[in-house]
Amino acid sequence: MKPILLQGHERSITQIKYNREGDLLFTVAKDPIVNVWYSVNGERLGTYTGHTGAVWCVDADWDTRHVLSGSADNSCRLWDCETGKQLALLKTNSAVRTCGFDFGGNIVMFSTDKQMGYQCFVSFFDLRDPSQIDDNEPYMKIPCSESKICSAVWGPLGEFIIVGHENGELNQFSAKSGEVVATAKEHSKQINDIQLSRDLTMFITACKDNTAKLFDSTTLEHQKTFRTERPVNSAALSPIFDHVVLGGGQEAMDVTTTSTRIGKFEARFFHLGFEEEFGRVKGHFGPINSVAFHPDGKSYSSGGEDGYVRIHYFDPQYFEFEFES
Amino acid sequence: MPTGDYDSKPSWADQVEDEVDEGPLPSPKEVIKGNTKIITEYKEDEDGKKFKIIRTYKIETRKASKAVARRKNWKKFGNSEFDAPGPNVATTTVSDDVFMTFITSKEDLNNQEDEDPMNKLKGQKIVSCRICKGDHWTTRCPYKDTLGPMQKELAEQLGLSTGEKEKVPGAEPEPAQAQQSKTGKYVPPSLRDGASRRGESMQPNRRADDNATIRVTNLSEDTRETDLQELFRPFGSISRIYLAKDKTTGQSKGFAFISFHRREDAARAIAGVSGFGYDHLILNVEWAKPSNS
Repeated sequence: MKPILLQGHERSITQIKYNREGDLLFTVAKDPIVNVWYSVNGERLGTYTGHTGAVWCVDADWDTRHVLSGSADNSCRLWDCETGKQLALLKTNSAVRTCGFDFGGNIVMFSTDKQMGYQCFVSFFDLRDPSQIDDNEPYMKIPCSESKICSAVWGPLGEFIIVGHENGELNQFSAKSGEVVATAKEHSKQINDIQLSRDLTMFITACKDNTAKLFDSTTLEHQKTFRTERPVNSAALSPIFDHVVLGGGQEAMDVTTTSTRIGKFEARFFHLGFEEEFGRVKGHFGPINSVAFHPDGKSYSSGGEDGYVRIHYFDPQYFEFEFES
Repeated sequence: MPTGDYDSKPSWADQVEDEVDEGPLPSPKEVIKGNTKIITEYKEDEDGKKFKIIRTYKIETRKASKAVARRKNWKKFGNSEFDAPGPNVATTTVSDDVFMTFITSKEDLNNQEDEDPMNKLKGQKIVSCRICKGDHWTTRCPYKDTLGPMQKELAEQLGLSTGEKEKVPGAEPEPAQAQQSKTGKYVPPSLRDGASRRGESMQPNRRADDNATIRVTNLSEDTRETDLQELFRPFGSISRIYLAKDKTTGQSKGFAFISFHRREDAARAIAGVSGFGYDHLILNVEWAKPSNS
């Protein structure tokens, strides 16, 4: 396969995300620009400019009207997807680490870092109520004193959010009451990424403790473990096959002190059921920070510490491949 | 391919002259033929060199849902506001071909990472040298001049005929040597170790202990230097142990060099330990190649 290389960022990629149909790909990096691309040919549709710091997270709602991005400039911004205009600016006290639209696109959630004497919070805004945005007053704010939130996604039907903590704990917070619905502690280090399956019944976590794990999204029951030798930065589930793609590599600070041979910067494909690796794709010069499957399962993208995003359309061999163990 | 662009020009010489004369570069051309689009651009770099860039695109028609089709017609905005339709080469390029490497079993995976195919070949003994037991032809032996004659002489000394020796290439010359050193029998200087290494000391770049150095391969990952010392001490006094370790993990890379003070000790070590099962692995011991080769 010939990957399409997207060079829209000057610094390392922090997150990439497809919209619901998969025709657009949103990428954010440690530079202040949010890029949106046509996934089919890698053409850049536009940029959302306004942030003044590293952008940690991005999300689009179900009908791709709005885009949400959270940044280390202590703000979370809402954009009009088509024109790139900023619709709302939500100021925070510390960097915004994760953000997301619920499945109806009306409620947004974002979490802030424990930083500069401020606690870690998860804030919920209802976009249908303009006063909440004007007053910058969320309808609910959940404090998380013990451990910082590193990753968060909305659960099925927008009833709760699933968050991953720095200490490896997983929590479900109710979107209505804010209380903890369920807890699981299967990881020992920070959970870098959480991605849901297509039917939202399960999700995969990517953890610094060199593993990715599959959980049931309602009960937080641990199902499967995928082991590697390096910290896992991102993991995604294939929408059409029982496949998992993991992206990782050693930490960015160690990259210059080790040779690339042992860097293991490949995207690694595991079988969901057998927990065994069956394929690898090389390409990045540094660790992969974010991976995402196209919703049709025929391509996937990865964004790395090297600042590049690569869109890979699978070869026919991938579709013909039969797993034998 | 630049075909048909200069149909009217009779020869390349005229063409070059014309290009020199031309002040401004020709404007980009776009040709659409069927489902291919060919864009021809002209560029000039800092050195004044002119480039002609031809890009061929395939035009594809795809069916998409209404929402996707509508989004495809959105106007570009932000930093891409002034980009022409289609991918901008400044931000989007097609990278080199990469392939997904399929892994069938764990063993393959580890081998692929740890060693290149040449090393694997070296590990298996395809040919065995009669002189030093190395994995090369006898005629290519680096010790041909030193060890070979010595062995012959030793064999003669012990009453073995060279012809017999030729018949049994697997026979070890080492026991003879060992005997010699153990019994403490007088050995004339001409037969002593190194006697036939004529002028060797004059050769540059060869360390003395290279001759008594053995290479141990197929060690397990958690082998330590002390283990090697334990293993090889019985054969004679060791001058140096070098165990190759991974810089970051500190684990053994699976091979080590052991330098003995005496060559015959090394030879006995090879005879004794090669093929020895150690830590569930079968050790492979051979003479170390001279470092300058």
